[in-house]
Amino acid sequence: MSDLGTALGAFSEAYGCGAVLWTQGAPGAVLEVAATSGGDVTPPEGFARIEVGEIITRETALGQQLVTRLPGRTRAWLGLGPVADDDPEPRRWLRVLVPVLGEMLQSRWEASHAADELMERYEEINLLYSISEILGRTVTLEEAARTILLEVSDTVGADYGALLVHDASAGLLRPVTTLRAENAPPAVPIPIDDPIAVASRVFRTRHALLVNAGVLESSFEAPFRSGAMLSVPILWTTPEGGIPLGVVSLSGRRSGDNFTAGDEKLVSAVGSQIGTAIQNARLVRATLDQQRLESEMRLAHDLQMKLLPSGDVVAPEAICAVRVEPAEGVGGDFYNLFRLGNGRTGVLVGDVSSHGYRAALIMALVMSATAIHAQTTADPAETVAALLATLEEELRETEMFLSLCYAVVDREQRTLRWTNTGHPHAFVIGADGVASRLEATDPPLGLGGDQLHAASRPWDPATDLLALFTDGVSDARNARGESLGEAAVIDVLRARRRELPSRIVDGVFALVEGHLGRAKPHDDQAVVVLRHA
Amino acid sequence: MSLHLSREKDIVIVEIEGQLIVSNRQELKQRVLDEAEGGARKILVDFARTGYIDSAGLGVLVSLAKRLRELGGDIRLANLNDDLQTLFELTKLDTLFQIADSRERALETF
Repeated sequence: MSDLGTALGAFSEAYGCGAVLWTQGAPGAVLEVAATSGGDVTPPEGFARIEVGEIITRETALGQQLVTRLPGRTRAWLGLGPVADDDPEPRRWLRVLVPVLGEMLQSRWEASHAADELMERYEEINLLYSISEILGRTVTLEEAARTILLEVSDTVGADYGALLVHDASAGLLRPVTTLRAENAPPAVPIPIDDPIAVASRVFRTRHALLVNAGVLESSFEAPFRSGAMLSVPILWTTPEGGIPLGVVSLSGRRSGDNFTAGDEKLVSAVGSQIGTAIQNARLVRATLDQQRLESEMRLAHDLQMKLLPSGDVVAPEAICAVRVEPAEGVGGDFYNLFRLGNGRTGVLVGDVSSHGYRAALIMALVMSATAIHAQTTADPAETVAALLATLEEELRETEMFLSLCYAVVDREQRTLRWTNTGHPHAFVIGADGVASRLEATDPPLGLGGDQLHAASRPWDPATDLLALFTDGVSDARNARGESLGEAAVIDVLRARRRELPSRIVDGVFALVEGHLGRAKPHDDQAVVVLRHA
Repeated sequence: MSLHLSREKDIVIVEIEGQLIVSNRQELKQRVLDEAEGGARKILVDFARTGYIDSAGLGVLVSLAKRLRELGGDIRLANLNDDLQTLFELTKLDTLFQIADSRERALETF
């Protein structure tokens, strides 16, 4: 306090009287000499009872001394002496000196307080900066939670606390990390509708809560509560408002004081940062899951494509071309081809009444089952009946049905026999270009009927073309929602009927792609074309 | 697609406007199942304003028919345009559903 010492020194030099300034750090503490320019520095007895504006006289070893208390936030007393008994001047000096020193002490207090506040703000900024750094370099909250809780509790002077995250599926606030006494039991999840727990209330109301000791004591929070508690929501802020994701609770204040509004403000800011981090972590996890799903879908698509045979498997008896384009990674359209011996070739095209994984699983079952059953009989109805027996339970459980056309072309007998369970697009294109539909013999598989039928027609191995496709081809829709139509597909088949099957399939897909333009196909597309010569 | 549900005595009439396809079939299924949950056993689907049904749409109709028949009820169809009528014939689904030319005719015979 050199400024105070200078002031007292100047006073003494001007008036020839010593001055002593005592201060007291806290009520009950001993007086300390803050500055002096002479006189007895022994603390006056009963100084605490001296009122501001009151002047007492005391006898000291150096003579009489006038003592008064200074106004202001600083607890301070001023003594002037030695003074003569009958001299009124020292009292006048005292009245002049008191406000001057009071102002100086007040300025000193304000400067000191400002420094303390600045230090606190610095600590808070440092805390927020640290938490930003922690959250920035971690992917999951679990990794950073303990460090964050330690930093926050240290800054606000709390020994206990918990960071709880909302588990929406269970309706609970689950403790991610806690600071608790060594002998305290582990914290357990808190129901968000618990009427007493502070954290539950804060989560429900989305507002911070400062509670004193003894208020809203809940057994759920006992492991991390001692005395007063500060609880703030972890919010993810959106343009529509804050979405609660969890709660940060702090307790066990080292100073024994209650938490302050400043503490609440600081921890709320931390809560917002944690909320953003949680949401970011969730988005990262969702993106990774999506990437994994897409990767698995690609794998499933590749596997599905590998299940489908090449057109060459029916060579040399027949020339066959095939192509399948699933609409969503994995699809429900399929075909299969069989060499059945004695110049017979089996051609199967079908569509499971759905898309995605479940349809792909049914499709895989159909592929393996037909490969077995087709080799046991040349009768298409028997083959399809055996397939139905294999799939019946699966179709019932999945509520799917299966439309397919299974045709057996007999080159020697010059016949084509087929069983068609509601597959609309199966044709024989004759030499004259007439397209004859292989009519459905039965409703789709999976609708309850188990009596399957077969139909037959002549087959000219020299000129006839067997063409089957699925509704994803004829129903392909352009950006205006216009359907391609079955007739347009048949026109291509007729126009190219003398070309190689591979050229014909290319022609059909060129037609589809031309019609779709930039529109994405909404359904799987499959085309199979077979001829003998 | 938009759905409009109305009731004529004990028959729930479902009008489908637009396309019944893989992306919206669940909506139809849920609405009809909700009605069944509420006690409805007779469902008439009016296709007067339906332009297109894909295989998944057919699948949901079949699924609903099976469910209602298990409950002792039925689902019937009316007002199919020529393309949809052909679709039901080609897939042999016309053998599984009672299909009427008009809503009035369907209501008379339900």
